[in-house]
Amino acid sequence: MSEPNSNPQPKPPVISPAAAAPATPAALGELPAERVPITNPVAAVEAILREPRRIMFQLTQPGAGRVIASLLLAAIGCALVYGIVVGTFSGGEQLWAAPVKIVVGLVLSAAICMPSLYVFSCLSGSRARLADLCGLVAGLLALAALLLLGFAPVAWVFSESTESAAGIGTIHLGFWFVASYFGLRFLHAGFKLLDARGSGGLAAWVVVFILVTLQMTAALRPIVGTAPTFLPTEKKFFLSHWFDCTVGTPKEKPKTIPRAKVPSKFSS
Amino acid sequence: MDAHSSTLDTQQIPALLRGESESISGWLDQSTTRRAALCIAMILVGAGLYGAAVGLWRSPLQAGYNAIKFPLIVLLTTLANALINGMFAPLLGLNLRFRQSLMAVLMSFTIAAAILGSFSPVVLFMVWNTPPLGPSLADARDAHSFLLVSQVALVAFAGIAGNLRLWQLLRQLGGSNAVAFKVMLAWLAINLFLGSQISWILRPFVGSPHLPVEFIRDDALAGSFYETLFSAVGKLLSE
Repeated sequence: MSEPNSNPQPKPPVISPAAAAPATPAALGELPAERVPITNPVAAVEAILREPRRIMFQLTQPGAGRVIASLLLAAIGCALVYGIVVGTFSGGEQLWAAPVKIVVGLVLSAAICMPSLYVFSCLSGSRARLADLCGLVAGLLALAALLLLGFAPVAWVFSESTESAAGIGTIHLGFWFVASYFGLRFLHAGFKLLDARGSGGLAAWVVVFILVTLQMTAALRPIVGTAPTFLPTEKKFFLSHWFDCTVGTPKEKPKTIPRAKVPSKFSS
Repeated sequence: MDAHSSTLDTQQIPALLRGESESISGWLDQSTTRRAALCIAMILVGAGLYGAAVGLWRSPLQAGYNAIKFPLIVLLTTLANALINGMFAPLLGLNLRFRQSLMAVLMSFTIAAAILGSFSPVVLFMVWNTPPLGPSLADARDAHSFLLVSQVALVAFAGIAGNLRLWQLLRQLGGSNAVAFKVMLAWLAINLFLGSQISWILRPFVGSPHLPVEFIRDDALAGSFYETLFSAVGKLLSE
């Protein structure tokens, strides 16, 4: 088989319809590509990155349950891998505890916020069913977790370099904010397609969701560092927990103390 | 396989430097292993020569180490960020395939490496004119600082030029200034973020006068670039 000539006639690159979208987008499902069913997590991952409208359309079709399951599986898989990278900072038990906590935290946050999303959706005039909203939230989780997976190599480099739990915790939080931004953007786009009259209700819900996910970092601590118990024995608001981590973290951890024995207040 | 394709066509590098978007965009559409190899070869040669020239002030051994480490920074940054860069492009409105986004980033680094490589004779001349590492630690520190600052300026220039070309290419692909700018900014931010840390791990490059020549320091993985930066800023503010 011969390779293409090194100086071929310039050929325009393949630009997707998304990149060269017309000013007024077609109605949901009008484009043939959007009607292609999503049957597995790999297809869901591909679609949520490149054809988010395909996901939104498929969520309104019979068999939406399979799409939601695919999105959730993708989210769980990606979050597990990212969690392992988070766990490499401390090693030992955290290699399995961190991924479990991150997956549980994500799913719990979504479950806790689901009823309020439905209520806010109704208040915004949307005719979305609970199943539609479940699909959008599954998409949010899948996209956010997928981006976390993309950040995983970067996070790993920092995990191996730094000794500061507060430092690596800040980096993970930064990645989570970026991932959440794109996930929530997907949710917002889906919300608009579900006949919502305004997005004020969604904006309020976004604040609630963000606060819940941030509180998970305190409720499920330690996720980054280590502690004598799997879950915390003391209840704390996340800001107070972060403050303790930042103030309590030494500039350089003494070499004689192995990572696994860092006191729980240093964990974030 | 034709005879032409079996060799690296180095004549494509000037087209890349000139920013001939029409011909370069074809690279993304038909990005072959050979084209990727051409980019990697240019990075190895360009960044390697530049690194060697910088390290020569300290010692020939440091020059040898730098010739390996400079290209390594570029390639490790590109590889480690490939996944997230590939995700950012479609999410920000430019529907590039993973392979295409990887190639686009590689091409921008190739341009930067070509510029750095072209500067290597200039750097050699600078090194030749810089007071050598002698018994006076104060003189050595001045020379070390001069080299550090000048290298930062040269690397920044090469980086800006590479990203300018990248922006032009993305603008042609996306047909929109805003989309191209967003994608370039996202790629630039994550590449800078990780690139700084990888450079920190692979230090020294110029080499502090009072420290021995090493491939990497014993404490390479102790602390991060950002912790050191914050610590330095904190010290400045507290003084």
